[in-house]
Amino acid sequence: MTRSVRPIRARVLLAVWAGKLTGTLLRLVGRAGTHVPGKVALAVYPGLMSAIPLPSRVVVVTGTNGKTTTTNILADALHNLGVRVGSNRAGSNLREGIISTLMDGLTVFGRSTIDTVVLEMDERSARLVLPGVRPDVLVCTNLTRDSIKRNAHPEYIAWIVSSALSEDTTLVLNADDLITARLGTEANRRVYFGVDAMGDESRIPHGVAIDVSICPICDHALEWDVWRFNHIGKVTCPSCGYRSPWADVRASSIDIARGTMELAMDHESTTLPLVNDNIVNVYNEVAVAAALTVLGVPVNDIAAQLASLKPPVTRFADETIGGVRILRLLTKGLVGVACSRAFEHIPTIPGRKVVLMAIDEASERFTEVENTAWIYDADYEYLADPTIAQIFVGGIRRHDHALRLAIAGVDPTKIVLVESETEAADLISLDDLDAVFNLHSVHNALISGNPVQQRLRERLLEKI
Amino acid sequence: MTVIIEMLFPEIANLHGDNSNIEYLAQSLEGARIHRTGINDTPRFVSERVDLVYLGPMTESGQLKAIDRLTPHGPRIAELIESGTHFLFTHNAMEVLGNRVSNAEMNYDVPGLGIFDFVTTVNMFNRYTGKVMGTIDEVAQPIVGYKSQFSMVSSAPDAPGFLTADRGIGRNRSTRVEGVRVNNFIGTSLIGPLLVMNPYFTESLLSSIDPSREPTLALRELAIAAYDARVHDFNESARWSKAELLVT
Repeated sequence: MTRSVRPIRARVLLAVWAGKLTGTLLRLVGRAGTHVPGKVALAVYPGLMSAIPLPSRVVVVTGTNGKTTTTNILADALHNLGVRVGSNRAGSNLREGIISTLMDGLTVFGRSTIDTVVLEMDERSARLVLPGVRPDVLVCTNLTRDSIKRNAHPEYIAWIVSSALSEDTTLVLNADDLITARLGTEANRRVYFGVDAMGDESRIPHGVAIDVSICPICDHALEWDVWRFNHIGKVTCPSCGYRSPWADVRASSIDIARGTMELAMDHESTTLPLVNDNIVNVYNEVAVAAALTVLGVPVNDIAAQLASLKPPVTRFADETIGGVRILRLLTKGLVGVACSRAFEHIPTIPGRKVVLMAIDEASERFTEVENTAWIYDADYEYLADPTIAQIFVGGIRRHDHALRLAIAGVDPTKIVLVESETEAADLISLDDLDAVFNLHSVHNALISGNPVQQRLRERLLEKI
Repeated sequence: MTVIIEMLFPEIANLHGDNSNIEYLAQSLEGARIHRTGINDTPRFVSERVDLVYLGPMTESGQLKAIDRLTPHGPRIAELIESGTHFLFTHNAMEVLGNRVSNAEMNYDVPGLGIFDFVTTVNMFNRYTGKVMGTIDEVAQPIVGYKSQFSMVSSAPDAPGFLTADRGIGRNRSTRVEGVRVNNFIGTSLIGPLLVMNPYFTESLLSSIDPSREPTLALRELAIAAYDARVHDFNESARWSKAELLVT
């Protein structure tokens, strides 16, 4: 797996110098601006993506969820194995950020200082990135519904990625996601990863966002051998016999209590620690193993790298003060699928609970009117649970969330509307309470999520 | 009377949360029965009474399947529209019933059912997103909703629309006329979902579907509060960008 060296042309060098100089100046004034050097370089030479010198191996990681985690673990593993590796872990995953990363791996004379680059790529940027870099390996973690405004639907994203792919690229794909699994063409070499059936899993899909229900070959209704969430699971077509692809690299025998799993690949099986018990992270771990296999890393080395993984920084915090748990969940507004995963978690926590919800899109508060269609793509039905005593809804679009909750079956008398996104932390009663959930979005994490968390802590400490 | 709602092809017509239109309608029509017709099934409306036929948003490939499955029933659909059966086709569902759907990037140009005289052009690299606020004859309060679509519809200027946009665009960037309205057929590219987001319109629709009883909108107080807040925001000019307004 070695690519031919691109010639270093004067215009390329000029663009790289302009980009590197910009990066140096930004660092001198204490700014990160990881996409700005790439932006400047592209202004000098718009065709730079197809001309910039590349290291001998290019790996691109994309997907709706898990691409950052997968990229970071993969780059770390390669680094630990002695590979000189570059990655955009600290930078933008759009075209400009990727150019910045590629420039970082070059000397001022345009020669590569790294062996391999692992690039996290925003899936919508595929058309702007893939034809230029023609990656040796493309890893796709999954493709599920995302922002309606930005991503439309996962089949559209799959089309964008597929139509930008080279037939020379080896695809590392999620076998348990039929949209991802069908990326590329028959000409692409493909390696699948997946998670074997676990004992207590459902075979009946539920929820509002199921994007694969019929056979891609004959349109017959599919049967689910395993259903996990959205369209993630293993299917069979009872009409034509079509099945989810067999996964070459698999996690199996997942034992949450012992914190272990079996990693099966290349006719060998190894017991590894579970990096955490979230199934999405298990998929990320197996995706890394599959990518390392494709990159020629021996099985023993892969196992050793995965065995030393640290749990990823989580978007979930859980603390207990005076016997009351405060659970903070990042509930990504505008993305119904992500909200469903957060909502699903709430009823699993034992005891009497109160939920504080402020998940408006902060960036659209004053200059737009948020398109709230996405809240009907999220399973608010999980919150119609008898153990949830009250749901406080804050923010500008609170009335929309309240209506959605009621349509989902939440008793309207349990819904409390508060204009402020933070005031609910003062209004809730802490008596007879086992857990309180602080739900916020990405864009209001600092302005709402943090103060709510702080106020809840203060009130619980005062109560002790 | 027991109202019967037929949801066409829910396995493929389920994007953008729009099927909540029917969930909300059913909650507002006590005793209503929802009949879900799969992509490989013969629609119920072909041979039995249906009070409202619903088709929701689809992917591009899903839209082609819907055209394929509904084409044999085109004359029956036209007959039902003529006789006053209620239809609600949202987002790109309406386009199925036009003359053609063309998509250069995905390399197809296929005939629709030809019930309505318009053509649809799908542009995968020029997605339109924006808000719409407009009026219809039978409801005093404005209709509000959102567009988030790859396609634009072109038709004769006098073809009857669902609403006239006071703000935002209609069937395409150069007309205020949005959607299609023929008798009780309502086709609109608005998402939201439309019926959840427009309680006064939904009450009017309930009366039309079942004139024998007073409309009882589910969760009316919450729905009106959400509607009022949205209309308040939609009325602020600063919240409208040039890109989402009509090209004049």
